[in-house]
Amino acid sequence: MDQKKVLHLVDDTTAGGVMRMLDHLLAQSDLSGAVEQKVLKVKRTAFSWGKLNADVIVSHVAPSWRSLPAFSALRAMHVNTRLVHVEHSYTRAFTTLNAPRKRRFFAMLRVIYSFFDQLVAVSHAQADWMKERRLVASEKLAVIPPTVDLAQLSRKTMPPKSKTTIGAIGRLERQKGFDILIQGFRSTRTPGARLLIFGEGSQRSYLEALAEGDPRIEFRGHAKDPAEAYQAVDIIAIPSRWEAYGLVLDEALAAKRNVIASKVDGLRDREGDTRVSFCNLDPYDWRHAINNFLLSDTIEKSS
Amino acid sequence: MPTASIVVPAYNAEATLVETLASLQAQTYDDFEIIIVDDGSQDATSEIARAHQGDPRVRLVGQANRGLAGARNTGIAAARGTFIGFCDADDLWMPEKLAAHIHHLKAEPDVGVSFSGSALIDEEGFMMGIKQAPRLKDVTSAHVLNRNPIGNGSAAVIRKAVLEALAYRPSFEVERDWVFDETFRQSEDIECWMRLMLTTDWQIEGVPGLLTYYRINAGGLSAALDRQLEAWERLVAKLRPINPEFFAQHENSARAYQLRYLARRAITNLERDTAWELFARSVQESLRPVLEEPVKSFSTFAAALVLKTIGPGPITRLRQMKFKLQSI
Repeated sequence: MDQKKVLHLVDDTTAGGVMRMLDHLLAQSDLSGAVEQKVLKVKRTAFSWGKLNADVIVSHVAPSWRSLPAFSALRAMHVNTRLVHVEHSYTRAFTTLNAPRKRRFFAMLRVIYSFFDQLVAVSHAQADWMKERRLVASEKLAVIPPTVDLAQLSRKTMPPKSKTTIGAIGRLERQKGFDILIQGFRSTRTPGARLLIFGEGSQRSYLEALAEGDPRIEFRGHAKDPAEAYQAVDIIAIPSRWEAYGLVLDEALAAKRNVIASKVDGLRDREGDTRVSFCNLDPYDWRHAINNFLLSDTIEKSS
Repeated sequence: MPTASIVVPAYNAEATLVETLASLQAQTYDDFEIIIVDDGSQDATSEIARAHQGDPRVRLVGQANRGLAGARNTGIAAARGTFIGFCDADDLWMPEKLAAHIHHLKAEPDVGVSFSGSALIDEEGFMMGIKQAPRLKDVTSAHVLNRNPIGNGSAAVIRKAVLEALAYRPSFEVERDWVFDETFRQSEDIECWMRLMLTTDWQIEGVPGLLTYYRINAGGLSAALDRQLEAWERLVAKLRPINPEFFAQHENSARAYQLRYLARRAITNLERDTAWELFARSVQESLRPVLEEPVKSFSTFAAALVLKTIGPGPITRLRQMKFKLQSI
């Protein structure tokens, strides 16, 4: 049987999560007999990405009005090639907070998605949103949550022994909502509680200012070994403002940590999982959830 | 099941409820129910409502007083329509209003809230010659915070799906969900619309025409203006964490608009010091209202200045003149 050529297109600025997922996918040895996979970096704003030699082209590039020429050229130059788009970026909550003119934004997505034979949503919540907003015909839509190798993380972590330390892991950017978490945590009064934040990013000084004067909050910088970060905390907080999928939630559960997550987008795929509780994007909600967690410790100790 | 539900929150509304209900019963679009929520009135409101139940479209729900937001929430919980409109028990709907909004919402699936402009009426129901003619298209969060195009509590018809997306259940609430935040006694509308803009991806859009008659009650003490400002500040503080960058960009101009609005209310009430102070604070907060709406800002400035330096005489005379002109 002929090997099929699969070409993955990624943006210059593609986020780490997408590359991790692709690395994992390319490393699947059982696929290598049937398909030959390659990754090509492209410029989102280029007029065209040229004629590409592949049986299936998979786009991981974030659509925008500025990438419309390149997407339409991609279709025009590959009339008989199967084109697949994986939507890593856009969600309901992303649109809500970042697209002031929502109808114009939906129109852009509808046009660009129409160039593809197949659209892949990374979470059921994202797919539901795409269907509700009629961004793509439902027969063209599939849900494939991204996977990465979590076995090592699982092996290297032990279950938490106490209920005092809250952890947050991720880029210190607006999307991750750590400002809401810090404000919520600050308003709890338990002296023994701690909040450890792992990661770097442009909001570091802003977040440090929010945390100033509360010695229970620590910024630990980028965690070289994620297992160590997870091992250092008892529960993981994911206060994201939007999240197409949220690999960190899978990681946390693999590392045997329960999770408090914001009730948005892909994170909602875990609704019903008893290890995950949900909060709105509201510091009072987070205070309540954190207090519940800290209090459950006191109750267990006293009983 | 009716296609539309019209929720009428009513508190001590005996003077106006009959007229309000008549305007709703006269809607040209006929597949709807009217839900009157008697919010613990002590007057004849419930008798009037009961007398209207001969019309099978009219339903009455009673409750101990919970305030406007609480009455609306009770109405939403009782509503069976796919589209839900609100009409306060002292306002009026033009006969074609419901038809216009239902048509709009059916034609535009991305639009979750359809609103219209309003004409203002006074306590006796006379047209004041003032209109609310807001921006109708491409409404962004910034427009809602600055100018609230929905304008008043009787202007919007909303998809049930939108209200479901906004609904939440405070831990102490045992009866039904909240859509409007019942801890607000003022600014409950704008709090809800801003929350809609910041937490859902629904577009809001207006239809042309002044399809609501919105009643302005004269009076109201300066304490009420203070409370109004306080409520507005509380809504900003409540919603700011959702999108701090947005508020950093638009909060000052929105506060300036809010202060200018309160200054105009103070002028109407002939409160000379309050009016001047509110206007001065508005200008100190941001000049955007002056740049965006210079005529309105200047007239506010002139009226506040006249009121402060000369007193209420000229303004009262101007108002009498206007009234005479209208009655000719």
